[in-house]
Amino acid sequence: MTTTSDVVVIGAGAYGTSVAYSFAKRGQSVTLLDAANSGKATSASAGGLWAIGESLGLGCGVIFHTHEEPVNEGAGPQPVPRHFMEFLRTSSRYFPELANELGARTGMNIEAESGTGLFYLLYDATTQQHAREILNWLGHDETLAQEWGRDRVLAHDRNLAEDILGAVYFPGDNQVNPMFLTEAYKRAAIADGMRFVAEARVVDLCMAGDQITTVRTTAGDFSAGIVVNAAGAWAGQLSRLAGASIPLIPVRGQIVCTETLKPTLTCNLSTIDCYIMQKAHGEVLIGSTTEMVGYDTSVTYDRIVELAKGAVRAVPGLEGATIKRTWAGLRPGTPDELPILGREPSVANLHYCTGGFRTGIVSAPLSGEMVAAAALGERTEVPIDPYLASRFDSKLDLSHFETTAA
Amino acid sequence: MIRENTDLLIVGGGPAGMSAAIAAASCGVRSVLVDEGSELGGQVYRKPLVPDAPKAHPTGEALRLAIADHSRRGRIDVRSNTAVWSVFKNNEVAIVAGNRSALVSAKKIILAPGAHEYVPPFPGWTTPGVMTAGAAQIMLKTMGLRPGKRIAIAGSGPLLVALAAQLVRKGFPVANVIEASPFRAWLKLPIQGWRAPRLMAEGLGYLATLRKAGVPVQYGRIVTQAHEENGMLARISHAPVDDDWVPDTTSIESEEIDTLCMSYGLIPRSFIFQIFGCEMNYREDIGGWVPTRNTDMTTSLPNVYAAGDGTGVAGSVVAQLEGELAGLSAAKALGARDTDARIGKVHRALERMRPVREALDAISIPRPGLQTLIRDDTIVCRCEELTWSEVRAGVENGGTKFRTLKPATRLGMGPCQARFCWPSMSRQIAKIAALDSDQIGPISPRPPIRPVTLGAVAAEQGETS
Repeated sequence: MTTTSDVVVIGAGAYGTSVAYSFAKRGQSVTLLDAANSGKATSASAGGLWAIGESLGLGCGVIFHTHEEPVNEGAGPQPVPRHFMEFLRTSSRYFPELANELGARTGMNIEAESGTGLFYLLYDATTQQHAREILNWLGHDETLAQEWGRDRVLAHDRNLAEDILGAVYFPGDNQVNPMFLTEAYKRAAIADGMRFVAEARVVDLCMAGDQITTVRTTAGDFSAGIVVNAAGAWAGQLSRLAGASIPLIPVRGQIVCTETLKPTLTCNLSTIDCYIMQKAHGEVLIGSTTEMVGYDTSVTYDRIVELAKGAVRAVPGLEGATIKRTWAGLRPGTPDELPILGREPSVANLHYCTGGFRTGIVSAPLSGEMVAAAALGERTEVPIDPYLASRFDSKLDLSHFETTAA
Repeated sequence: MIRENTDLLIVGGGPAGMSAAIAAASCGVRSVLVDEGSELGGQVYRKPLVPDAPKAHPTGEALRLAIADHSRRGRIDVRSNTAVWSVFKNNEVAIVAGNRSALVSAKKIILAPGAHEYVPPFPGWTTPGVMTAGAAQIMLKTMGLRPGKRIAIAGSGPLLVALAAQLVRKGFPVANVIEASPFRAWLKLPIQGWRAPRLMAEGLGYLATLRKAGVPVQYGRIVTQAHEENGMLARISHAPVDDDWVPDTTSIESEEIDTLCMSYGLIPRSFIFQIFGCEMNYREDIGGWVPTRNTDMTTSLPNVYAAGDGTGVAGSVVAQLEGELAGLSAAKALGARDTDARIGKVHRALERMRPVREALDAISIPRPGLQTLIRDDTIVCRCEELTWSEVRAGVENGGTKFRTLKPATRLGMGPCQARFCWPSMSRQIAKIAALDSDQIGPISPRPPIRPVTLGAVAAEQGETS
């Protein structure tokens, strides 16, 4: 027996639930399929809403655009294209209202903070130079980033290491609970009539011509006029079932979480070693690594040690904090670090909502809206063209990714 | 990174771990024995730490003496106050001691993690004054402390009567022992008793102590609510139950009690096997998810052995035998000779114990009626202070596994990693999702499985690879 709906969304992470909700809100009948893979990026995300910080590559301990690579325009790799920074800022602005909307619909609090801000801590002359390049790139716009001296930083947060030289402060970069965001999206969509199918692993996409006719899963067959690939790190595998190919691979991120602590940090932190954030429930999250090791979701001793060292260096008082958990997630990485949104050129009814990589939480609201709007022929809030799968040539070139030596 | 190598690493210094180390040493195999406590013995053979505490159990003393003897001769390297917090690839076991983390590699590893108590949620169970029977036992055995003034002990299984008698012998009165199983179930036990004379003698001794002291043992009843006054336990309600332990709420009795010690049997602390990657299987009769084992005590991983209550609850006598068997098997695998006769002997002793443990399991295994005590506003996850209605909302919105409910509701997201909420919640979720308990899946433990600080990990010296 085949279950039919207007839309089938495959994958119930932040992107999948967001796009499902966007379709459901538009009156579409939606089926959301979840395989509950271990290593879902959403569950290993810290939930930073760092529109500016992520644009500069500060999200994973400055792993991507390391400060050895100048961020000046025209010289070396760019942080991200400016249109994507604007994309992230637009998406980030959704959160206050989204928190109210989802709260009213589901009773859940997605713990979207405002006014937390982000410090990029400056440890030495090299990071100071990096800070100057960042500020230049942002045109010294104080609403985006500000240079703070050591004393001002330490007065703002007494827990930080006294030997810092200063910080770049990003006033608009806040945080959310990524798991509750996803669950609230899901519950709100269910309230709008969405069907959620747990433990549904896609085993085949049956085609007739250039159309997907049936999504065959371990929990039955589904058909829909619109099929959305929101399978995160597994999106590449999924598309191959329809004969389509996207350059997307899993990028492992290891993360360390402390026990619940009293309010300790006034601000989100990014350093050359790691990011550090205290969440609403009091845990401090320390992340993250950027490793291309396939679908291996294990944590490694040496990387956990590095993250712990990085945390204690930035916030010495964390030394006595008990580690509650360490784990790893698989982020869907693309060569240009931008998401893949909108239709697949070779399959008439296949649409993408994936590739969120390290900005998957902050970009989830706008990505979901864009994909739903584009699929239904509406005008999108920002142009979707830079995010279409058709932007890639066939080559999967991820050579600029930092990897661990295998 | 600090790394050390050893032939045999034994994790857990209770009866199973101690016996394993002694057996291996007697075959000439050196081992490192890691234990979290300051003294070996585990929960059952806990060593008194002050003169005022009750006398140590003679079996525990004998094991400790044997270990000390081997230790003096350099055959057993005892590491107390040391915990295993994870295992990384290539069998590198991460330990933490003295607030410093380190890696140990071993050719063979014997895991003997033991068990902890099962206390299912019921209204008022988080009130101060309600504790596990094990916690009361630790206070008594190590420090000789009295857990409270008017003490009731409730739940099921042989621990209740044992704790009550130990308290009475120390001169601490016990108001009531409330055992869920009917008296007629316990009457069947003596039929198997000849197989375990030491256990039988101990059990009868406990009952005699209670009879002499006039402590009532009420069979076929469960505590249905703990009542709080001024933030402390003031009163308990208990009611008779049917064969499924569903209470008859029309005949509730109330009793003034300030300390309630609870235990509904034991749950294997089997996380460590999951962290090691051992194949697990669901065995409701012995406490839940346990590692699959071969007759030589190896798990699905040929270099990892499993022994004692952590592999399925069977008590100290079986734990000791399993530990001995694991120690001998590991020694044999490491090249020790002439182990076969001893291995055969331990096998036969274990076989003799089997009917006793099966009879005990049948009496004390928690029955479904306990679940009926859970109300919408009952806290079901203590770490996260989640009520049943919050977890149920997660199930009603499509979460059917522990793994998916964890991020959605924070069930099991606290420090205990769902050790304490899993047994009741897996049954409860299965009930409303119309699944079997094993379909809810085990929890997915993450390192660290024992507490380790950021500072202890950051203190790692040397090159990171």
